[in-house]
Amino acid sequence: MGKVKIKNKLRQFRFENNQMTQAELADKAEVTRQTIIAIEAGQYSPSLELAIKIAKAFGKKVDDVFEYEE
Amino acid sequence: MNRTQKIAWLFVITISLAVVSSLIAVAILYSKVGMPKALTGFALLGIVGFAGFGPVIFPKDKGKIICDERDTSINRKAAIAGFGASYLVVGLACMLPFSILGPHATVSVVWLPNIFMAAGLTSFFVHSVVILVLYGRGGKNG
Repeated sequence: MGKVKIKNKLRQFRFENNQMTQAELADKAEVTRQTIIAIEAGQYSPSLELAIKIAKAFGKKVDDVFEYEE
Repeated sequence: MNRTQKIAWLFVITISLAVVSSLIAVAILYSKVGMPKALTGFALLGIVGFAGFGPVIFPKDKGKIICDERDTSINRKAAIAGFGASYLVVGLACMLPFSILGPHATVSVVWLPNIFMAAGLTSFFVHSVVILVLYGRGGKNG
């Protein structure tokens, strides 16, 4: 079984949304800034619930923000 | 660094300091007064008690959200690792005398509270180290 990784476009969407800060995104997704940093760096895979919250914060679908790679 | 990490650091430092200083004290006392008086050096393990002030020393983190799913996940993994390590300590403490001394030997009950303390220290130490390692994977700001 290959290594599974979830890529994300958090940084890109933050800058496209009036340069939203990590803290602002954290508030919208109801998590700590540390968690946003870890997700953005690809070091933490969020739960489905959190992935949906983050996607909603950008007004996008989960598929647009997160990409499943094998 | 969040509050959990600061408290974990306090635990790692105090436990390390307590164990090293008590072992040195026991070694020094052993050379001067011999056993069993040298065991009083383990009284220095009381240093660990300072870790209990962690929640008082470190104020709560600022911000609306201070704990989320990642924090809960890290804490759960750390707790499991801590419990596993303490279980290993108790297991070794029970099985090693049996395999070294044989099935008909006797062991002083003095060792029972010591085993309990060793298991507790191991649990807290491993729990704290795992917290630091898992948060450390979050990079500079993790």
